[in-house]
Amino acid sequence: MADALQILILGLALGGVFALMGSGLSLVFGVMRIVNLAHPALIIGGAYVAYWGFKLWGIDPLVMLPVAALILAITGIVLYKLVFEREARSAKYSEMTVLLTFATAMIVEGAIGTAFTNTQRVTSPDYATDAIFIGDIFIPTGQLYAGIVSLAIIGALALFLKYSRFGYAIRATTQNRDAAELLGVNVNLVGMVSFAIGIALAGAAGALVSFVFSFFPAKHWEWIAVLMSLVVLGGMGSILGTVVAAFFLSVIAAFVGAWIGSTWSTMTFFLALFIVLLVRPQGFFGEKPELS
Amino acid sequence: MSKLLEVSDITAGYGDGPSILDGAGMEVEPGRVHCIIGPNGAGKSTLLKAICGMLKIRKGDVRLMGERLNGLRPDQILRKGIAFVPQERALFPKMTVRENLRMGGFTMRDKAELERRINAIEERFEILGERRDQHAGTMSGGQQQTLAMARTLINKPKIVMLDEPSLGLAPKIVQEMFGIMRMMADEGITILLVEQNAQMALRRSDWGVVLDLGRTLFQGPAGELLSDPRIQELYLGGKRAA
Repeated sequence: MADALQILILGLALGGVFALMGSGLSLVFGVMRIVNLAHPALIIGGAYVAYWGFKLWGIDPLVMLPVAALILAITGIVLYKLVFEREARSAKYSEMTVLLTFATAMIVEGAIGTAFTNTQRVTSPDYATDAIFIGDIFIPTGQLYAGIVSLAIIGALALFLKYSRFGYAIRATTQNRDAAELLGVNVNLVGMVSFAIGIALAGAAGALVSFVFSFFPAKHWEWIAVLMSLVVLGGMGSILGTVVAAFFLSVIAAFVGAWIGSTWSTMTFFLALFIVLLVRPQGFFGEKPELS
Repeated sequence: MSKLLEVSDITAGYGDGPSILDGAGMEVEPGRVHCIIGPNGAGKSTLLKAICGMLKIRKGDVRLMGERLNGLRPDQILRKGIAFVPQERALFPKMTVRENLRMGGFTMRDKAELERRINAIEERFEILGERRDQHAGTMSGGQQQTLAMARTLINKPKIVMLDEPSLGLAPKIVQEMFGIMRMMADEGITILLVEQNAQMALRRSDWGVVLDLGRTLFQGPAGELLSDPRIQELYLGGKRAA
């Protein structure tokens, strides 16, 4: 019983980080219908920002988090203006954005690899290797802090989307782009800002990832399928769904890893992706696909 | 009477595709209900989309009280006073009724005034007040259409354009929709209506415009169009001439 509780706690702690990693991907898809294959590569970018802040100046990655988010948000705006804005009215927009984000992922990986080599890195503040013990149960403080900060950021995002004027505009554009435009929403501006927020979330997630996982430039290929499975299971474009899916799958993966084998732990995400697509393609909170 | 809106000989289409409108025009006078009729593919909905800025006008002019609207975005045209309810009603299915109404006043900066107007609409359309916390996507077709039409009133528009407001609705509900439209007109809001059921629509309109193959063929008082045997035969239920 204690073992199961231990596994559950580890799964939940990791779920918080995955929730933040997937939220930006979900937001960008929801508003702009871009399947951003470069999202995990940009998370790696955020991780490097936090890593170098810690390595060069000893700045805690949690303090570097807003810096990473800001730098990545600016990167997002540049990417949007250079790459996606001109494609927005293209008839082959969806196909083009898949190719463009794939190419962006390759470029980001190449640039980071050239600048910082392919060495495995990890940011190592004291709490990253520490743990809190409650009886026989231990909670790794690194994962705990990362999970708490992730949930705080997602909570702030939810409040922003629910109550702010711009949040209304983002939700409206997600649900019905034409209607939002008819009612006075500048959907191009909403697209750009949402993209920047999504990439900022990647930067913030990167800062947390930097002390939870070891990372290197090509690590993002491992994450894209994991993140896609969260977004698909949650329902494409639903941030709430992504968060629920992140906790759900992380806990299952933790149990699978402990009871069956760690190799199968990652397979849990891929298996979930296949099962969801077969059984409930709209995921937890997505729209049912129309036949027409 | 002075012209509120003038559409002069416009050409427009979707993306880089062929022009759907080619020589469409109409004159809109304040406070009247204008009905645009014509066969399927005539360009009726396209005309409304071109006026509200959803489609680029390739040639010709759209002027609101003399001011040229060509090239403005839909949000800019809404701010000028032209609201549009498209066929699919343009609601936000996962937002509540109240949130949908709030989106209707998205361009308003005065939040207190916006809330006042929303409250007034909820009082006027009781069903919206009763269902204020219900997601719009879970309401019936008639309730959704009521919400879509009522939402335009938030902005106190000069012109409301309605594209097939009766689409998919039961006859009794259609009468209610036309009742709401008439009420809007009685309050001085100019209506541009596209409706498949041309007979019924013309009977409730002051002015009729006949569009075919993307161009305006006739326009005049609705009563005259209804009694014109040629219009009757071609566009109001009679067989089309070969």
